[in-house]
Amino acid sequence: MSLVLDNLTKRFGPVVALDGVSFTVEPGQVFGFLGANGAGKTTTMRIVLDILRPDSGTVTWDGTPATAVPRRTWGYLPEERGLYPRLEVIDQLVFFASLYGVPRREAADRARHWLARFRIPEYEHRRAEELSKGNQQKVQLIAAILHGPEVLIMDEPFVGLDPVNVALLKEAFGEMRDAGTTLVFSTHQMEMVEELCEAIAIIDQGRLVLGGPIREVKRASGRRVVRLGVEGDAAMPWLADLQGVTVVRPGHEFTELDVRGCDPQEILAAALAHGERVTQFVIADPSIEQIFIEHVGRAPSEDHHLAEATR
Amino acid sequence: MSPARTATLSTNLRNMTAVARREFVWRGRTRVYRLTTALLVVVGIGLALAPVIIRWIDRGSTGDRIEVVVGDAKPGIDFPLVLGLLLNAPAPGATPSAEATPAFRVEAASDEAAARARVVAGTSSGLLVLGRSAAGDLTFTLYSKDVVVSRQPQLIRQAASSIAVQDRLVRAGIKPGDQAALFAPPSFTLTQADPSSAASGPSNGEAWVNSYAMAFGLSILLFMAIVLYGQWVAFSVVEEKSSRVMEVVLAAATPFQLLTGKVVGVGALALVQYAIVIVPAAVTLLLQDRIAAFVLGGTGTAGLPTGLSLPMLAVFGLMFVLGFALYAVLYAGAASLVSRQEDVNQIVAPLTLIATGGYMVASYAGTGLIPVDSALVVVLSYIPFFSPYLMLTRYGQGAASPLEVAVAILLLVISLPAALWIAARLYRSGVLMYGQRPTPRTLLRALRGA
Repeated sequence: MSLVLDNLTKRFGPVVALDGVSFTVEPGQVFGFLGANGAGKTTTMRIVLDILRPDSGTVTWDGTPATAVPRRTWGYLPEERGLYPRLEVIDQLVFFASLYGVPRREAADRARHWLARFRIPEYEHRRAEELSKGNQQKVQLIAAILHGPEVLIMDEPFVGLDPVNVALLKEAFGEMRDAGTTLVFSTHQMEMVEELCEAIAIIDQGRLVLGGPIREVKRASGRRVVRLGVEGDAAMPWLADLQGVTVVRPGHEFTELDVRGCDPQEILAAALAHGERVTQFVIADPSIEQIFIEHVGRAPSEDHHLAEATR
Repeated sequence: MSPARTATLSTNLRNMTAVARREFVWRGRTRVYRLTTALLVVVGIGLALAPVIIRWIDRGSTGDRIEVVVGDAKPGIDFPLVLGLLLNAPAPGATPSAEATPAFRVEAASDEAAARARVVAGTSSGLLVLGRSAAGDLTFTLYSKDVVVSRQPQLIRQAASSIAVQDRLVRAGIKPGDQAALFAPPSFTLTQADPSSAASGPSNGEAWVNSYAMAFGLSILLFMAIVLYGQWVAFSVVEEKSSRVMEVVLAAATPFQLLTGKVVGVGALALVQYAIVIVPAAVTLLLQDRIAAFVLGGTGTAGLPTGLSLPMLAVFGLMFVLGFALYAVLYAGAASLVSRQEDVNQIVAPLTLIATGGYMVASYAGTGLIPVDSALVVVLSYIPFFSPYLMLTRYGQGAASPLEVAVAILLLVISLPAALWIAARLYRSGVLMYGQRPTPRTLLRALRGA
């Protein structure tokens, strides 16, 4: 029952959007799909949903080709949000659900439940164009989940939401995950990934850079982060003598060190040997953001529109 | 037929119904739809009442005034009276109506210059001046604003010829009393050379006019449906594209389902609108006699459209549904290539041109400008884009046998899946194409399914 992408390739004219992308999403997982803008995230999602056809490669769900999987298996929140501007919220929701085979009455009941759940029950009979962007996005999300999909694929679900709504959305994610829904989403916000995802895939310029359970990804990076706090002068010039240790962020409370190819315990030993009085010593995995920057060469929020513009 | 993901028949039906339903319900609720429907109802009733309205407007009129200057010609008869009788004589085959207003009023005038001035001013519609040639024959000069092929000069010329012949007979010594027999119309029958082809044709002039008018009217309805509702389909596609709702819908439904649903939804709405418009118009038409009697007094004799037979209606119904579907499917496919409302007209222009072309050939064939049995009309009447118009016209005029109609309908039915296939292909690659100019190359790539 896993979602397997195998060797997906897609070209748009001269632009190679995807170049042999393969990864697996385990059922019931919350899966983060990361990449800079134009890396190929949207194209990958569209191929999984059979909105686009790959030039080569396959997508399977539970061993069945995605093209043969019943449509109601999938829920999709596209990057470009789209509602019928002049249709009432409830009518849109019922329409989308009926495309997935949900009876109209039941769809309306479920829609009302979710509208209340997202604290916008009063918008039931408003036209979509009258809603604020954040509220439109909530309606859009409801449209994606109303039919109870097994796999929910979301392109940047958190963009444009205020903190209250982000919290509501996370709560809903948790509920859906507990109910067994597989959640795949892309985001630029790495703290969301740290908080929510069990596994990730990072793609860059159409190629898979890194993928797997977060813990493994972090371990596999061969890096640790050490936060070291000492009494008095925090400069600690002796750190420069240690092999494989880089000062990432010096500070008064603690200094953050990037450690690779050396046992963090040696740092503690060296500190004591230099007569420092250690107030804080923390060994941690590197953040996803650090891993992302290391592999992609720039922060996830830095845009590069090359592939997007030629699409 | 679409390069679709595996979709069962029931899913196809369900999604087409859902799309059609949304299209039908939502569009039917819009103000534009209600306003156009109301407007068309008024226009329909107005057209049905046109004969009554024209008679009502004409009720006080005494006909066109033709002035006559006899001068020294001395025709030997009461020229204005005879000319008036000849001009107002009923057309052959038509039943003379006692109440009908005479079309012409012939008056004698003496001052030729003043009469010409009245023609120029428009208070008289013609001035006929008589004279004698050197050989003694009557000569006629008509002063008119009409051109030589207009109906009025033609009628006057016919009447003048009769009078000139009569004048020659008088001069040859034949008594006017004996002339009646000479002028009695001979027996004249038109029979089809090939007896089998005459079977469905209209039998006389009046029936021909009626069947022609009916086929003509029906092809106008068809043309309007294709252009008007076809563009609704096109706009509906672009609306989904510009609001980006397309991607959400496409995740749930195939392009094929979306496409067919749209065409069915808009088509159903079109049929409903037509029904709403045609029923009151038909009732008005049926009650025309009573309305005429009520408005004009006396008993009206406005006839019913005799060209409207049941087979004709059935052919029209089939041609209407199939023709609309063919064009609407292609309109949708074409519209999926653009992303803004402004570009819709441009992209569907070739289709509209084809639709207009078919309509124009049909109306030329209907009026006889192009012979209805010419090779062009016959060949085009089988080609799916044109057959709805032309086969209808040919059938209405009895120039096409039921077998020919069946073949045209069959070809139309076969062309539909092909159009659907092409449109679904265009749709699949077009719907996610934003801001690109559709070039022949991108079109080709879309059709290849890249």
